[in-house]
Amino acid sequence: MKEQLYRKEIWITIVFSVLLMLTGHCATLFVAFPFLKGGTMWGFPVEYIVPILMGWFGMMVVCIAMALVCNKFDDDMEEFAKSQGQTVMSDKTGGK
Amino acid sequence: MSNEFAIDNVWIGIIVVAILFAICYFIGWWASKMTTSEEDFYAAGFKIGPVTNGLSMAATWASLATFLGVIALISKLQVPFVYLWIQWAISIPLLTLLYGTSLRRMKAFTPATFIKARYGKGATITIVLWMILIMIMYALGQMIGLGQAFEMLFGIPYNVALIVSGIATVGFITMGGMYGASYNAAFQMIIMTVAMIVPMGAIMKAMGSSGWWFPPLAYGDMVPAMLKVLPTFFDMKYDVRWYFALIPAFTLGPVALPHLAMRVFTSSSVKNARWAVVWFVLFLGLLFAGTYTSGFAGNYFVATTGKTIAKADQTLLILNVFYNPMWVAAFVMGGALAAGLSTVGGNLMAISGLVGNDLLGILAPKMEAKSRIRWGFVALGMGGVIAVLLAFKPPKFLVTSILWAFGLLASTATPGILLGVWWKEANKLALIVSANICGLIFIIISPHVFPSIVIGKGATAALGMSGGLVTVPLSFALFIFLSLIFNRMPALSAWAPSLADKQVIDRIHGWGDYDENRYNGKVWPVVLALVCLLISFWGLQPWKF
Repeated sequence: MKEQLYRKEIWITIVFSVLLMLTGHCATLFVAFPFLKGGTMWGFPVEYIVPILMGWFGMMVVCIAMALVCNKFDDDMEEFAKSQGQTVMSDKTGGK
Repeated sequence: MSNEFAIDNVWIGIIVVAILFAICYFIGWWASKMTTSEEDFYAAGFKIGPVTNGLSMAATWASLATFLGVIALISKLQVPFVYLWIQWAISIPLLTLLYGTSLRRMKAFTPATFIKARYGKGATITIVLWMILIMIMYALGQMIGLGQAFEMLFGIPYNVALIVSGIATVGFITMGGMYGASYNAAFQMIIMTVAMIVPMGAIMKAMGSSGWWFPPLAYGDMVPAMLKVLPTFFDMKYDVRWYFALIPAFTLGPVALPHLAMRVFTSSSVKNARWAVVWFVLFLGLLFAGTYTSGFAGNYFVATTGKTIAKADQTLLILNVFYNPMWVAAFVMGGALAAGLSTVGGNLMAISGLVGNDLLGILAPKMEAKSRIRWGFVALGMGGVIAVLLAFKPPKFLVTSILWAFGLLASTATPGILLGVWWKEANKLALIVSANICGLIFIIISPHVFPSIVIGKGATAALGMSGGLVTVPLSFALFIFLSLIFNRMPALSAWAPSLADKQVIDRIHGWGDYDENRYNGKVWPVVLALVCLLISFWGLQPWKF
């Protein structure tokens, strides 16, 4: 269980880091893969509007998923520590 | 400094500024009554809820440059600068994910609180001094902007405007501590969003756009006319390396900005910090999209009317003077002021925390908490005064000096924080050596100090992008390799991480026990260091742009 939680934490961090980078740096994809350019959306070239939308709503969706997944992970960690009779660092322990 | 724009009726400007500052002072005064402990002064008692904190985060991040410098740079660089700006929004989500919640768990006041617990005194002094330098540069940029805003509103000389705005600003920020900074920033975010978006709707309507009802995203019908007169506006212009160079300087730099991290730390819980980030992205996205619209409209205005805007910093104001009533233009200036005030508030609180809590905690460890708060107030005021004094001779573009400082921060502080949280081998001496060497190299290879020794050219070098592509990965690589070497040298054993240092890592990640094998790999850090060296070498190749 302990090993599983550790692996899960690492994977959560890697996956969300990559997703955040993709949403914020979406424009780079249009430079690296020029064939993606050429279309229009809402009157704008896609290479202009898609990075703006990804950097706003796309990132918001990633952050909602991050809050849900990471908060659930915190619950799992606390539950595991409790089952082992351990205390974890929190506001209750004064951050110690 | 002459203006293309000044409000004819000075009283309109005075009324807008008086109302804005009256509200800020009232919030500062109200907040001062809640400040009774160090936790209150530096972290708003760890009590700020997600929505308020999301607004405060966005306001702290969105500086005066959002209203002035950015629009100028969009006018100059066009769409590539929009892409540069979009990626700012990653900073707070990424820092929250990578270390923000871990440090919130330990109830840190600043990132240096963690540095002290993890690396000890020597490394803390190194990182704190770099951070203070960068915070003063940042506050300097805001002070320049505030002075320019007062100059435009009242038509008074820049130096007088700077002194008046500086005193007025530092006063209410000093009064309220972090409670005041947080609630003021939330209020200021609402003002700046309304000031950016609503008048822009009227401008777009006057320009003939059917999308005036939602300025941030509905100006697509203006694109054909824009392309007719300015066919290059949407060109991506630069190569993949230019876009990749945004990551080390402009994504990884802000990740270590103490005033952004401190906003995460004020959250009422670790879980609420993550929800605050969701609100942050929503609010900041709205404001930033408004900024891109303004940049587009500025270019559109110049291209379609044939008029020139000599002072590109004033584009938004000129558009408002041209298309909207004078009182609306004054309100937009109020929004710009609010943007500057919220960021200065964050900068000065960071300086205060770094000096009052982190530095004094080392230099005078026996000092009582009450005295430390008093010194925190002094540091806050002094930070403001220094920024005002430095602002008497402003750089050409308001935003350039701030952006350059991000690369410096990424070269000095970011590796220490990230590897300190995620890697037990991170060595104290290795941090001091790598941070100082790479910080100095970054300064040397930028065009600002030694113009003859420069990596890159033009705006790419001036903004620290080409320099950052060399020194930021180099700093990570050097830190990793030196840590592995120093930890195995008996003569340097005092600098190796102790058991207590390593226990800090497990505890802040939420573990109830200690496991030596956790966060203690060798292979992946070495792979990361080798990749970083390759990236750094890539940065050294001749730059086309």
